[in-house]
Amino acid sequence: MRYFFLLLILCSLIAGCLTTSLPPVTEDFGLEDDEKRLWQRSKEEQRVLNNSGLVYRDNEIEDYLNKIAGNLQTPEILARIPFRIIVIKNPYLNAFAFPNGVIYIHTGILARMDNEAQLATLLAHEMTHCTHRHALRAFRDRKNKAIDLAAVQESQIGCDGAVDLLALLGSTGCMAAVTGYSREFETEADMVGIRLVLQAGYDPNEAPKIFEHLTKELAEEKLREPFFFGTHPKLQDRIENYRNFLDTRYQGKRTGTKNSEVFLTKLHKVILDNAFLDLKAGRFSTAQRGAKKYLKTKPNDPRAYYLLGEISRQRKKQNDTDRAKAYYKKALSIEPSYPDPLRAIGLLYYKEGKKTLAKRSFESYLSLSPHAPDRAYIKQYLAQCNEKKGS
Amino acid sequence: MKRLLLLLLLLLLITACAPWMQGRGLYESPKHSFTLDIPQKWMRLNTDKHLLISRDGPFLQYVLVQERHFDQPFRHTKKRFQRGMLPQEAAEVILDEISSDRSVFNFSVIENTPATVNRYEGFKIVFKYRNKDGLGFKTIYYGVIMGERFYSIRYNAAERYYFEKDLQTFEGVLNTFTITGAHAA
Repeated sequence: MRYFFLLLILCSLIAGCLTTSLPPVTEDFGLEDDEKRLWQRSKEEQRVLNNSGLVYRDNEIEDYLNKIAGNLQTPEILARIPFRIIVIKNPYLNAFAFPNGVIYIHTGILARMDNEAQLATLLAHEMTHCTHRHALRAFRDRKNKAIDLAAVQESQIGCDGAVDLLALLGSTGCMAAVTGYSREFETEADMVGIRLVLQAGYDPNEAPKIFEHLTKELAEEKLREPFFFGTHPKLQDRIENYRNFLDTRYQGKRTGTKNSEVFLTKLHKVILDNAFLDLKAGRFSTAQRGAKKYLKTKPNDPRAYYLLGEISRQRKKQNDTDRAKAYYKKALSIEPSYPDPLRAIGLLYYKEGKKTLAKRSFESYLSLSPHAPDRAYIKQYLAQCNEKKGS
Repeated sequence: MKRLLLLLLLLLLITACAPWMQGRGLYESPKHSFTLDIPQKWMRLNTDKHLLISRDGPFLQYVLVQERHFDQPFRHTKKRFQRGMLPQEAAEVILDEISSDRSVFNFSVIENTPATVNRYEGFKIVFKYRNKDGLGFKTIYYGVIMGERFYSIRYNAAERYYFEKDLQTFEGVLNTFTITGAHAA
């Protein structure tokens, strides 16, 4: 009887274990039952995310990203997985793929890249998670090991930025974006991804640079290893993996296109908008770097000078007030009817007690922007400027 | 007798750890930095970190009063309050903190104006947002800078039904809010 029970338990264990060894998506690919449920779940989580107000809506940019993604895969694969790239307004460096081919990229990482070859590396990596069915394999693996996803999520609470994402994403997105995949899957995504990048004709030397951007970010923000691209293997190991792979497998064939100019022309708007997000997040150095990078493409855009002024005004390091004024004046010299630098420079004069200069700036601001959302504050400052002047 | 003593001890422990307690009447913060009147039938969360009161549960409505030193970092923005900041600049920091929170969806500012909380000059922000489940909330947030401390009193409620319903009660609470800390003028 005892042996019978043991046998029963063994049988149920075997029957309960689903294979995690799945072939990649090919032209005769069909969704398995649990995979269908995973895709359905992904759609539901994407619906929440897409209606959150966090999606960066710009058709031209989306078309460009989707075109690059489309060039990385064969038509057969594209017919099986409807890849779609969506940009998220978030200054932190991250990207994540849902199993149904919807890939979210933060503005932060797009703004940090230098060219199309780096973008292709990121997209190829994320697309490989989909084509090689990593979500399903990870899901089955966890199910087989009876590990509750909640426990995994709990273990990620200490990761910087992870808590926000946990609140935002459902379990499928969480697995992709926060907890990441195993060392095996991440390495597979790196190595298959680099092949796709090479096949598409991009310069593979640009591939490790994504990780170099991340390493720099870690150092600047004094962060631990990020959850981006999964937590394993470590960034430095992955840079080495890329280099070793290129040295051994593609010796002598390491050239290709970078398309830096096209990339920066297409994505310049993201660079500036993301720099404003960095300012909101209080990441002054990162915001400053973004504004200066943008100015290389658009040297006469007053918004970038206004942003540099705001960074200096809010950071308040030594000589920042003078720096801020100079940037605001530069913005106004390009576009005299730009109201925001007038308000900002007025605030600086007001705090310095230069009431006449402050009054002039505030009055110009309100005349250019009579319905400004902060007009109640400005009217209060003006009233006080008039009071002091009279007294 | 032994059992009775154990039971009593257990009862004492349970009541001492009760997360919510009746809080009607004058409330004085543990650091003696502010006071206010808690309205009838509202419960107070038993914590020293801040004052959180609610009648039907914080998911439906709450009033939260916080005091923070300038050194205390925010959770979502690395910006800090600084000495000599204007109320408008302090409001900007608070808005950046809230809008950088990734669990706040469809965030929109309805009003951002200078405001006086009793005799203290500060700001008033009114904003709306949705949570992950799509539920809409509305908040009125008052902030005051006093020396190197920032005081805030906010009313948050489900946008539908509850916000309007308890708005008057919040205004009553706001009128009794008094800063009594060392920096209070």
